[in-house]
Amino acid sequence: MNGKKIAFAALIIFLSLLILCPLFSIFAEALFQDGHFSLSNAVSTIQESENAAMIGSSILLGILVVIISSAIALPLAYIFSRTQFARYRFFDVIFMIPFMTPPYIASMGWILFMQKRGLMQQLFPSLSFLTDWFFSLGGLVMVMSFHVFPFMMTMMKNAMLSVPSSLDEAGAVFGVSFPTRLRKLFLPLLTGNYAIGALLVFVKTISEYGTPSTLGRRIGFAVFTTDIHRYATVAPIELGKSASLASVLIGICLLIWMLQNYITARKTYNLISGKGSAMRTRRLSIGTRVAIIIFIAAVVFFSMVIPLFSVTASSLIKLRGYGLRPGNFTIGNYIAVFTEDKQGINALLVSIFLAVSSATIAAILGTVIATSIRAAGKKVGNIIEGISLLPEMLPSIVLVLGIMLFYNGIYKIIPIYGTIWIMVLSYVILFLPYTIQYVTSAYSQISPSLAAAGRICGAGPLYSFMHITLPLIARGIMSGWMMTFIIAFRELVTPSLIAPTNTLTVSTYINRQFEQGSVGKGMSMAVICILFSLVSLLILNKAINRKR
Amino acid sequence: MKRTLIILALLLACVSVFAAGGEKGIVTVYMPSPAGLANKLAADFEAKTGIVVKTFQGTTGEILARLETEKANPVADVVILASWSDGLSMKNSGQLEPYSPAAADKMVPGWIDENSMLFGYSASAVGVIYNTLIYPSLDADWMDLADPQYRNDIAIPDPELSGACKDFVAGYVNAYGWDTFEALAENGMIVPGANKAALEAVTTGEVGVLIAGVDYNAYSSMAAGEPLSIYYPASGTVVNPRPAMIMKTAPDMENAKAFVDYLLSDDAQKMVADAYLLPGRTDIEFDNRSTLSEIPQIPCDWQAMMAVSSDSAARINDLCAR
Repeated sequence: MNGKKIAFAALIIFLSLLILCPLFSIFAEALFQDGHFSLSNAVSTIQESENAAMIGSSILLGILVVIISSAIALPLAYIFSRTQFARYRFFDVIFMIPFMTPPYIASMGWILFMQKRGLMQQLFPSLSFLTDWFFSLGGLVMVMSFHVFPFMMTMMKNAMLSVPSSLDEAGAVFGVSFPTRLRKLFLPLLTGNYAIGALLVFVKTISEYGTPSTLGRRIGFAVFTTDIHRYATVAPIELGKSASLASVLIGICLLIWMLQNYITARKTYNLISGKGSAMRTRRLSIGTRVAIIIFIAAVVFFSMVIPLFSVTASSLIKLRGYGLRPGNFTIGNYIAVFTEDKQGINALLVSIFLAVSSATIAAILGTVIATSIRAAGKKVGNIIEGISLLPEMLPSIVLVLGIMLFYNGIYKIIPIYGTIWIMVLSYVILFLPYTIQYVTSAYSQISPSLAAAGRICGAGPLYSFMHITLPLIARGIMSGWMMTFIIAFRELVTPSLIAPTNTLTVSTYINRQFEQGSVGKGMSMAVICILFSLVSLLILNKAINRKR
Repeated sequence: MKRTLIILALLLACVSVFAAGGEKGIVTVYMPSPAGLANKLAADFEAKTGIVVKTFQGTTGEILARLETEKANPVADVVILASWSDGLSMKNSGQLEPYSPAAADKMVPGWIDENSMLFGYSASAVGVIYNTLIYPSLDADWMDLADPQYRNDIAIPDPELSGACKDFVAGYVNAYGWDTFEALAENGMIVPGANKAALEAVTTGEVGVLIAGVDYNAYSSMAAGEPLSIYYPASGTVVNPRPAMIMKTAPDMENAKAFVDYLLSDDAQKMVADAYLLPGRTDIEFDNRSTLSEIPQIPCDWQAMMAVSSDSAARINDLCAR
């Protein structure tokens, strides 16, 4: 028993070193100056007029994205849960596409489509008045909303599915009209879920770096993430300011998570009971159906067709000065990515290496942690879980900044700053929560009596883990590995802050080509990146399903 | 089990890609665009000497930022910038090591500083680059582009990112004052990003005219067939030698010196000319671009320019943001 306690203590210390130390480095950098504690520095950074304005505009952006993505997601959630459209399950997969397309690629696609004399103006010259509108806060809100709405849609759809039709029918029997039922019965049951979804979208929006760093920079709209990045990377470097802003961002995120917990505790209803809750879907008039189909088509068009068309078209254009024009198409950009120099192929190899190594390490570590959470008592388990899920609650740019500060500080002890290994480490920290969550959910389906049965039959703890538990959680581990692999492959924040010299990943390669090289080559790599993610998703999905 | 083995094999293969290093040691070089030239120089130097070249490629702004971050643990041996004035300020802060390269006597006069710490192995000039589909021909002077007929159709590279543009702004305002840039900003001038992004804006026709665009980018796009043209306005421009410098803190000092010698060698100088840059030596022949004597120049006082360059770059961004 004592050995077990030591093991848990060691795990907590290890996780603290991995996750908490970088976070504390941020606070230290923000609050200590030349070894002295001073709050004035951080306070004056926040009070600087441009930083105060930036904090205001970040929050404004978050609120606007919540409003617009709700306007897209709520009708869709209703359509796909309570109407006859609910039976078209393939839309679940289709609406994952915008979420799976890296946001920096989608916003590059939008920029190339909307800019003056860009693809839209070449195809539909009469729409050129939209360009000025797009390159403003409005365009930024639209692009970000079309990226995050699937997230809220899935949450709300599941919530709506769990409201049994019997409640609605009871209302109807008493002669309540449909709009009143919606207002008095349906919506109150969902407010808790909606509040959680809205807060998550808000956190995701103010944590997002990809879209603000491409489209936001283009229109001069600074937010937390872009300013943290700028102070940490553009001369003159001001890490103290970067850290102060990061501390504020951490504060906002933690506040919102607490708010979310509070709402979850107060506003959830027990809707799933043993009683039959057959789902009856509403039959709709033809007019409504046509309107719904137009709405779905518009969402698909704006969230997928435009950005993907724009990226693909740009990758195939030969001379950019002549644009979309017969005879001006080539696959030369794709060939140039691989043959012109070694950068393209190296970027791909580096990204694959990072994705494979971090997914593998995170899978092993995540399984150990998830197992310990289960094996440790409630108190210790909560501590381990709390620390290890922290990276999912905080913006990745904050964690990466912390890792950068921490490992730069202890370079003399652990010299991994400036090598590829700090990137592996950073990826593992960022993506650890995926594996933990998948494995934990796999565990929740296993009855403890199985392992107990093994013990009765004489199996030792290790034997029963290897032969009973591990095979049962293997699918959870594989799902976590797959998720990490796909997300790590295209990760942008880590490499743009701490990539060593000579090292480009797919994401920084695309960024670099888009900003300083050939847009055609950049967009070719973007297409390769999207196809790679898609194909690996399909292959791994198949591999996992076969096992079942 | 099989899958685990495959993954392990993949991992090993990837690790071996990074572990590769030469016996002759390494040299770490930070250099700005063009990326093609940087890669060719690195590959040729590796082939000739066996010394492995590690490069970091970025804009002048990014390179300076990187050096600042790494102050505690210096990595760079040789630093190349696209801005002579930034090179001078590195010298003034005592970061550079003096050296006498073998080919010093063949260089353009003035492209080595008096302390022999900055070696202008190549140079670029900025000019006016225009889209020929929008303006079939153009030869307006800087000031004339503030005319209403070019309203909302002018761009400038971000001088806080582009060293060449930054030095031009400093040279121009020292000679003629701020009137021109204020009038251009008033006329709707935009700042699309670093050099290549700014060129992209004029190539796609997002704007018709790019002022202070670096010439080598324009020449190579024109050679590819893009509808562009370039000229140097009559009131003059700044020819900007791109300094290669050896860091005082260079971890591989001997290799750093060898790399600087290589930059001034015949082969490297020919590559420079092939990348449409002005070579740093007077005895290299080329016919793919304007020669040094054909470019009208503003008289440059580099010390005075260095003093104002960062502030004036920031001021351009302020003016255009309004």
